[in-house]
Amino acid sequence: MMKGTRKGNLITGRYMITLTCITIAGCFLPLVLSSYMLRVMNIALISYMCVLSVYVLLGMCGQNSFAQAGFWGVGAYITANCLLKLNLGPIVSMIIAIAGTALFAFVLGFAFFRLKQYYFTFATIGLMTIFNGLFMNWKEVTGGALGISGIPPFAIFSFEFSNETSKFFLIIFCAFVVTFLMKILFNSSLGRQFMAIRDNELAAGCMGINPLLTKSKAFAIGGALCGLGGALYAYLSGYLSFQVFTYNQSTMYLIMIMLGGTINPIGALIGTMIISLLQEFVRPLQNYMQLIYGVGIMLLMIVQPEGILGGIKALYGKYNERKTLRRSEA
Amino acid sequence: MENTMKERHLDVLKLEHVSKNFGGVVAADDICIEINPGEIFGLIGPNGAGKTTILNIIMGIYDADKGNIYLGGTDITKLPTYKRARMGIARTFQHPRLLTRCDILTNIQMGIDLTKRTQKQNVDESELRELLEAANLQDVDLSLSVGQLSYGQQKLLEIVRAVLSHPYIMLVDEPAAGLNHREMDYIVALFNIAVKKGIAVLLIEHAMDLVMGICDRITVLNFGKQIMTGTPDEVQNNDEVIAAYLGGSANAED
Repeated sequence: MMKGTRKGNLITGRYMITLTCITIAGCFLPLVLSSYMLRVMNIALISYMCVLSVYVLLGMCGQNSFAQAGFWGVGAYITANCLLKLNLGPIVSMIIAIAGTALFAFVLGFAFFRLKQYYFTFATIGLMTIFNGLFMNWKEVTGGALGISGIPPFAIFSFEFSNETSKFFLIIFCAFVVTFLMKILFNSSLGRQFMAIRDNELAAGCMGINPLLTKSKAFAIGGALCGLGGALYAYLSGYLSFQVFTYNQSTMYLIMIMLGGTINPIGALIGTMIISLLQEFVRPLQNYMQLIYGVGIMLLMIVQPEGILGGIKALYGKYNERKTLRRSEA
Repeated sequence: MENTMKERHLDVLKLEHVSKNFGGVVAADDICIEINPGEIFGLIGPNGAGKTTILNIIMGIYDADKGNIYLGGTDITKLPTYKRARMGIARTFQHPRLLTRCDILTNIQMGIDLTKRTQKQNVDESELRELLEAANLQDVDLSLSVGQLSYGQQKLLEIVRAVLSHPYIMLVDEPAAGLNHREMDYIVALFNIAVKKGIAVLLIEHAMDLVMGICDRITVLNFGKQIMTGTPDEVQNNDEVIAAYLGGSANAED
């Protein structure tokens, strides 16, 4: 057996153990948090799913999109319409939201990825603006400026996830599943194709990878994650307003992942939690919020461009180096 | 591997009157090359002679202005890069273009992925081991990041990856540049394995001892023109070639 050929087992590996520990620890949160803080946590976990979509796009595939909050909105509005207008069940609505947003993202990706790198990013800014305009003005589907209210909570058979705690367990379960799927994606041939494109698109083409199709797939997976987030948001809040799905929110997702680090989903989780909780704790300083963000982002880029996780990884590398040095000296 | 070998066409790659201009500068002018299976074919010429351009035209990174390219008898002139790669052209770069943020195994896996996709077969571990030993990478921990390899090892890894994708032909751009003599020997060992598998190698190289030592045939280019094609002996004794390299006229010594 050659050194390092055996990758850690998926179920018993370090990633899975970390993920399970975090999830189990998270399950105790309802015991200690107030109902208000639990709502904050729920929103944060939904944001985490959207940040994961940025992780797939930017972290794995190297493509920067400012339209993710738009896809989040698409997922939420599809759910609301399926429930209220088509009278479909909650589970079916959620699946339609995920699949619909993924398909929509795939088609858009196929058109938009004809533009490369920065040009693509700029195009997604335009896309986000259009999304927001649609959410605000397409009264038949989005309820226009009034929004959509009266969305029933998620339910499995007769059990309704109506109180905050049950919603929390639903959302944390989804987050767990999605994070687990991320690891499978990372180890799959598709994941490697994404990373090949991120590291060098030309060389990826020389390895038989169709850049347009592969990037569109990444966009579709991002769309599915945002669709899931959107569906959960609709069930959580029961009311949708166009003011939530904004360009600012998209930017916030990017900040979250840059803070946490783009190396793996845990980075996305760290970044999302820090920013979401920060927003709550510095609420008294609301007026200075923008200033704190601005300076914070600049400092982050100067001090730790790889994010918190990147910093930890570098420290760990240095520690290992020193350990081997000491061993060789002894 | 054996089955696919028998189906292989007489000439793997054929360039017919291929030309390319870059805004008036002739980078390739009426190039005709035929490469046989398992042949190491050299492409040499002074700097700016258009060697890399030809590789890029074959790979589909540039479109040819004129002429046709055939892979095993199929016209691939209009196909995009990724389709050509899937049909069996592998390319390495002068500066290695690996997945820089991934570990070594992931990079190797890229080549295996391509074999799985195009030939629906797996690469067994003995083949990987043989290649890694030829490249002297057998003791390296494959879970290390690519960045921890030396420049030469990265270049060797790129060739290993190319061979693992089981192509019909490998386009290798200056493998020896920046490598020491020992590493050059590893490259020759890798080429030998490729040739044994029936893979043709199109080699661009400035290190003349390497080119003359291992190539079956050589084409010499100058200013995009094909000066001659022949065996290493023929090339070394050709007046026009000597003139192109020394920069004078062929009769300068008279």
